[in-house]
Amino acid sequence: MRWEVFKQDAPSKPHQAVGSVHGADAEHALLNARHVFGRRPAAISMWVVRADRIYGRTAEELAAEAPRAPVASGNEGTYHVFRKASHRRSMTFVDHLTDVRAAGPSEALAVALAGAGAEPGLAWWVVDANDVHATDPDAAASWFEPAKDKTYKQQSQYGTVAAKRNEGAAG
Amino acid sequence: MTDGPAATPAAEADLLARFEARIAAGEKIEPGDWMPDEYRRQLIRMISQHAHSEVVGMLPEGAWITRAPSLRRKLVLIAKVQDEAGHGQYLYHAAETLGASRDDLVDALLTGKAKYSSVFNYPTLTWADVGMIGWLVDGAAIKNQLMLAQCSYGPYSRAMVRICSEETFHHKQGKEMVITYAQGTPAQRRMAQDALDRWWWPSVQMLGPHDSDSPNTPLLVRWGIKTKTNDEVRQEFIDEHVPELQEAGLRIPDPDMRFDAKTGHWVHGPIDWDEFWRVVKGDGPCNTERLAARNRAHADGAWVREALEAYAARHEIATARAAVEA
Repeated sequence: MRWEVFKQDAPSKPHQAVGSVHGADAEHALLNARHVFGRRPAAISMWVVRADRIYGRTAEELAAEAPRAPVASGNEGTYHVFRKASHRRSMTFVDHLTDVRAAGPSEALAVALAGAGAEPGLAWWVVDANDVHATDPDAAASWFEPAKDKTYKQQSQYGTVAAKRNEGAAG
Repeated sequence: MTDGPAATPAAEADLLARFEARIAAGEKIEPGDWMPDEYRRQLIRMISQHAHSEVVGMLPEGAWITRAPSLRRKLVLIAKVQDEAGHGQYLYHAAETLGASRDDLVDALLTGKAKYSSVFNYPTLTWADVGMIGWLVDGAAIKNQLMLAQCSYGPYSRAMVRICSEETFHHKQGKEMVITYAQGTPAQRRMAQDALDRWWWPSVQMLGPHDSDSPNTPLLVRWGIKTKTNDEVRQEFIDEHVPELQEAGLRIPDPDMRFDAKTGHWVHGPIDWDEFWRVVKGDGPCNTERLAARNRAHADGAWVREALEAYAARHEIATARAAVEA
């Protein structure tokens, strides 16, 4: 089963879609998500959501759809709405933008689009809050902090040819 | 992700024109957007080959983890090999956004139907090879991946941006290692030169056939999948690496290599494409060994996958029963 992974780098940052992993269940998917997307520092929380539970629309799809009243096609509840805002070079896709009370994902998207106003975005994902499986906040330190000490994985820890030569000359 | 109802030829031409205009304007194509079938097909081909290369690429270096000369080198190598596994995962994800199935992709690798980078079919004979792979093979890969980070397909581009930031660590640790040996004892210097002698040409070849023998390139460039040709990327690789290797005191194993002051580029001698195609078609030094290692790993992991599925199924039944009883 495929799960989309959302990673949050800092309390002030939104959860961002970073890619997907396979997992037999949510627990397995979260473990894989940590191995695949948590090898470098800067993670405080991860969410996984079954890929087939995500309601996604690109700007092109929205433009092609006939305007119609949003369909109350799902559960009444809270929906997380994610948006991709620009074509800038990036390693993440959509960012968590807002939470909406609605009777289904398409209604949640309509509410979010109305709120977005002049910033309609390039792609949208809507996720039923009940479908989100998150890392345990109490376990976050043991899950993510060890990566901080592994400085040998950072490119900044390695000199260039010239720096190395100077170091050799000095020593 | 669906192609929608069958479009009339006129509508199809209109969609194609709009698609190409979006790419020309520098926009990214995302899953769900309209795309020509050929764009999807070419991307799945390229991305899956790239994913397989990352996965098979763990093998030549993984062989040296237990024999690393110090704890630091061992930690670095483990982290690098783990990164390659992660890169394979990012790329399989990108292929899946185009409708490819992970099982089919893995199956194509295991049965030998799929291609992966020819460079990983060469053996790692000494510890210096680990450094030389980092400097040359990862150096060549970064040139290619920096180009692909500009790719018009969003998920592939994003995977490349993530990979490049990690790959730079691979390149630098290899460079550091080779420079250390190139300045070391006579035996260490010989080992570094020997590694360069064996890895130079496979690294030059891994950037692909000459443009004149690369029939897909014009279409790939037109659709922004590639933004440079094989020969352009190869030239960038050579221009960066030749002076640095020489500065480290090593000799490039190409008697024709010379700097052309007029163009500002290094000019290489003829590339042995017969060797390249022989290795691509399965007759390299380690093709059989690499495929056997992947198949063994997949078969050895079968019980883990089965146990995970069984646990998940049992857990789901227990959760459902608890919900009914509640």
